[in-house]
Amino acid sequence: MYKYICLKEIKAELYTWKSLTWLLLTSLIFSVTSYLLLTNKELSLLDQTELMWLLGKIIIGVALLVVTIDASSSITSEFEKETAESLFLTPLSIKDFILGKLLALLSLWGVLYVVAIPYVYVASLGSKLFFPFLGYIALLGTLGVVGFTLIIFAISFLYRSSKNTLTTSLIFLLALSIPALFSTTLKNNTPAQILSHINPVDSIFASLDNVLVDYQTSLAQNWIYIIPLIVFCLVGLILLIFSVRFFKKKGGVQNY
Amino acid sequence: MESIINAQHITKTYGKISAVDDLSFQVNAGDFFGFLGPNGAGKTTTIRMLTGILASDNGNIKINGKDISDRQELSHIIGVLSESRGFYDWMTGEEYLSFFADLYSLTDKKKVVGDLLSVVGLTERKNTCIATYSRGMKQRLGLARALVNNPRIIFLDEPTLGLDPQGQEDIHNLLKKLNQQGVTIFFSSHVLSEVADLCSIIAVINKGRLVAQGTMSELQKKTGSTDLKQIFLSLTQ
Repeated sequence: MYKYICLKEIKAELYTWKSLTWLLLTSLIFSVTSYLLLTNKELSLLDQTELMWLLGKIIIGVALLVVTIDASSSITSEFEKETAESLFLTPLSIKDFILGKLLALLSLWGVLYVVAIPYVYVASLGSKLFFPFLGYIALLGTLGVVGFTLIIFAISFLYRSSKNTLTTSLIFLLALSIPALFSTTLKNNTPAQILSHINPVDSIFASLDNVLVDYQTSLAQNWIYIIPLIVFCLVGLILLIFSVRFFKKKGGVQNY
Repeated sequence: MESIINAQHITKTYGKISAVDDLSFQVNAGDFFGFLGPNGAGKTTTIRMLTGILASDNGNIKINGKDISDRQELSHIIGVLSESRGFYDWMTGEEYLSFFADLYSLTDKKKVVGDLLSVVGLTERKNTCIATYSRGMKQRLGLARALVNNPRIIFLDEPTLGLDPQGQEDIHNLLKKLNQQGVTIFFSSHVLSEVADLCSIIAVINKGRLVAQGTMSELQKKTGSTDLKQIFLSLTQ
């Protein structure tokens, strides 16, 4: 059943030109940043792998931002436009409903990823890191997108308002992203290091750094960064389960 | 007569406000059941509980002899035109019905959708976006959606709201036809004349409680009034 929800979401994105706008904007961002990274004379003093690292951060950062904005209205719009009730009167389970929505958002991430491939290719020319770079962007980006989407869905069931969900989700994304952008000198004390280890955005950036700057490309060398992302996804799933239960208890929809 | 809807002592409160208070009633299979009450009497809340959208605080509800907790089965035997009238405006009428037919896993989707579009008079507009539909057309499309799964019971919450006289007449004729085919119709409306014309049994609720239930002649006897407006006012004031 989830495939019908997923297809509906993808069609809605295409019919309303939302996805195409996202793709155009992200292409522009990737083009401008790649151009600046590759042509700026001061930046050209940087090692190529550091340029790739910056590009990787931009690709995943933009993808997380786009998915956060899109996910914030994915479920809430069904409540705001009063279409949720007609869906919940069919045999569709809430599990399929959520899975369909999640897959649609993952497909958006998939398209953004495909758009990013040429930029990754150009940035990694001659470095032999094209495939590890591409592979880790796929892995880290997917885990990040899934984790954020599950948490945003949890918020959506609590608020049922796209404005409130979007505001909360953006604050959440910023709260995790800003510390990840701090330089390592600001993360010297123990609390900062603990926060850095559990922050999923920090883990994404640190893993990219590990792969591109330190050439540690095997999964065994990156588990320390991947585990926090898996935990992040599990926390998102647990929050979503509780949020759905609360939603049912409040009289949203019973028996799902 | 077989009771197809059986609600016993159902209650729903929102904070301190009691929306439905110890409400019990039965609807027999094949009835055209009119459900009346003033604004805020608890009609929509009752329908939402009967259709499994809202959990009741107390009491139990059986549809077709089974507890409504069996949602899979419930969803296959009921059709609902609810108070929430949202549509996916970017879809065409045909796409919209096909989407719901998919959710019900219908094998003969194309035929069902084509037939329903014809029944509600939307065949000519099947390929245009719902965003361009008039209110009446959306109402008819909503009714077609409620019929996608060929339900045994249809719950209708103000189905003719905002329709012109011709639109109302079309809906009435369609509902009469469905009822003649054996479909039980649970009809909530503020338009007393249509309830008097269509319904075989009428229930009146006020402040969440059932105040009367019976045929038109039984209600006339009970209140001593002849017309439904007078009956309604004497029961709810």
